[in-house]
Amino acid sequence: MNNKNLFACLLLSLGVWTGCKEVFSSQDSRLSQIAYAPEPYPIQIPEGLPQFEPPADNPLTVAGVALGKKLFHDPILSADSTQSCASCHLSSLGFTDGKAFSKGIDGVEGRRSAMSLINVAFYNTGLFWDGRVKTLEDQALVPVEDPVELHHRWEDLEKQLRRHPEYPGLFRQAFGIERIAEIDKYLAAKAIAQFERTLISGDTKFDQVMRGEEKFTDDEAVGYDIFFDFTDKHPDAECGHCHNAPLFTTQEYENNGITAAQSFEDYSDPGLGGVNGKKLDLGKFRIPSLRNIALTAPYMHDGRFKTLEEVIEHYDAGGEYGPNVSPVLRPLKLNKTQKRQLIAFLHTLTDRTFVSDLETQNN
Amino acid sequence: MRKFSFLLLFATLFIASSCDDDTPKPEPAGDIQITFKGNYDGETFYTQKAYDYTDDMPVRFSAFNFFVANISLLEQEDATEETELIDIDFIDLGFDETQTAEAEAGVTVSAMKVPAGTYRGLKVGFGVPADLNRTNPVDYGSGDVLSKTSHYWSAWNSYIFSKIEGVADVDGDGQFETSEGEGLTLHMGTDATYTERILFPSSPIVVDEDGSINLTLNIDLKTLFYMPINEYDVNNDELLDIETFNGTHTDSELLIAKQLMRNFSEATALD
Ligand code: HEC
Ligand code: HEC
Repeated sequence: MNNKNLFACLLLSLGVWTGCKEVFSSQDSRLSQIAYAPEPYPIQIPEGLPQFEPPADNPLTVAGVALGKKLFHDPILSADSTQSCASCHLSSLGFTDGKAFSKGIDGVEGRRSAMSLINVAFYNTGLFWDGRVKTLEDQALVPVEDPVELHHRWEDLEKQLRRHPEYPGLFRQAFGIERIAEIDKYLAAKAIAQFERTLISGDTKFDQVMRGEEKFTDDEAVGYDIFFDFTDKHPDAECGHCHNAPLFTTQEYENNGITAAQSFEDYSDPGLGGVNGKKLDLGKFRIPSLRNIALTAPYMHDGRFKTLEEVIEHYDAGGEYGPNVSPVLRPLKLNKTQKRQLIAFLHTLTDRTFVSDLETQNN
Repeated sequence: MRKFSFLLLFATLFIASSCDDDTPKPEPAGDIQITFKGNYDGETFYTQKAYDYTDDMPVRFSAFNFFVANISLLEQEDATEETELIDIDFIDLGFDETQTAEAEAGVTVSAMKVPAGTYRGLKVGFGVPADLNRTNPVDYGSGDVLSKTSHYWSAWNSYIFSKIEGVADVDGDGQFETSEGEGLTLHMGTDATYTERILFPSSPIVVDEDGSINLTLNIDLKTLFYMPINEYDVNNDELLDIETFNGTHTDSELLIAKQLMRNFSEATALD
């Protein structure tokens, strides 16, 4: 045992002996001089998007969001201080990384494509492609130790955060901690979750048209009809069943027929079925949002389609055979023009202001 | 403390005033639970199980769910006095054969207190009543049954009241192929399709003070598919021709949707 530990031990026993008075170091007393005056974060939910309730024990505060944002972008989160969350969730790419499979710090590829974090605050049917985690607070704990991601150890990261010149003060402002030892993975995860809940985007051309501020071009308008089937004038591509507005996902888990499978055993990535143990859910994935879809290529959980054109060809053909493919899928028989019009509509789902605002803030 | 004593004063005042003779005393109450059970042709219904829809066309369903609304107990057969039980709820009868216990037990909506007494009938609505159907999922918090965007269709300005989905082996090759267009997507909605049914049990429903009773409603999925033969272009005796009508988007298909919703009335029986 080194001297420092011995000293801490002594102090600790003293603390216990004095009737469990808390042990304060001199750094701790400096900490308590920093004001803790939590100010609610002014969250703005654009017209047309649903409400969401942050967990009661993690309300959004200005200092909490700022801390979360710093952590999200800080390579201190990885074992060799080279990668952060932002390495795979880039704001310019709609918070994805533009790769089919993301590489972690060891250069090892994961098995799935990075997901967009835009509007993640609204998701309430499980996170990740297979829904294996319930809350953003729990999710944020995962990448740090994931061997194909940041491959760090929370124990070590907690130490690094505690001895960092700035973090203790920021944790104090965000959560009112009184001792540096209170900095732990749970508080870090709470802060990251707060930041993620502010990534709300609802100012696309689509939203502006819905609010009556803009007009679709002719092609976009036809694409909109093909997507949602408002009239019988154009073929119905059935997209709205699964990618319904306003989030452009119903958040259900479905098999959209991208993998040909004679039986359930043929799904190499089990998806939801791997999480809940139900055979009938093998090969099902959470329906992703199509907001900012033009920015988030390649597509699907394994990034198999490089372009939106490839995605549309897939749906147009009616999908592959599989034992639990959604009955909503069927051969669509869209002609070339209609496919182009559908893609034109998908391009109206990009929120340029959201992305460029973030870029200026991060520079 | 100031504020608190002020509140206290108010509370006392309130209690005092509510003890006036003309305010009714709290009614004695019993618990009621309502259970919805799915059947297909009289047997427990399972998703992903192949059923003979017609002799030469098996169907495998993957979804059967619906909203129920305005459920109430009726004291008299003329339905003048209603005791409301449930405003709106969502019932999902999509259990597969690995979930036999759940399928046989059915879906029970929460127990509620009702005044003890004798009731003659039970009213059940299927779908979303017009006033609530003016709203849409964005108006609700994430836990609310009406927050489901999976059950809202903007083109109709309406909730999707019920979804029946599956795949029919239309070409008879033993495979259920959505990739060949064999999928069945029957989504029903719009105000005109909202359906109410009043059921009269053979003996009256007696709710005892502090007692607890369960009412079970069996819903037979196959019964939903029977169409009045003259009104619609159907050729398969009276069963809906699901080879032709496998969706509910066009206008003629909407007529079918309306009949499917109306049939909830016929398809529902009190245990
Ligand atoms: C090496 C790349 C990589 C890094 C680093 C990374 N992620 Fe991810 N992220 C992914 C991948 C890949 C997925 C999808 C994984 C899956 O579904 O199994 C994902 C999914 C998510 C999701 C789920 C989104 C949803 O809609 O369900 C969240 C939230 C998330 N990441 C946040 C973070 C945070 C916070 C960090 C930093 C602590 C982080 N990520 C670091 C690649 C990465
Ligand atoms: C039955 C539900 C369903 C229907 C209908 C549907 N999708 Fe999808 N969509 C999904 C699912 C599930 C995924 C993710 C699948 C995966 O990664 O394994 C997906 C993925 C996508 C993606 C890739 C998203 C990403 O982030 O990688 C795009 C783009 C897309 N769909 C567009 C469309 C369009 C356009 C239509 C209409 C032609 C459509 N979808 C119809 C369920 C559906």
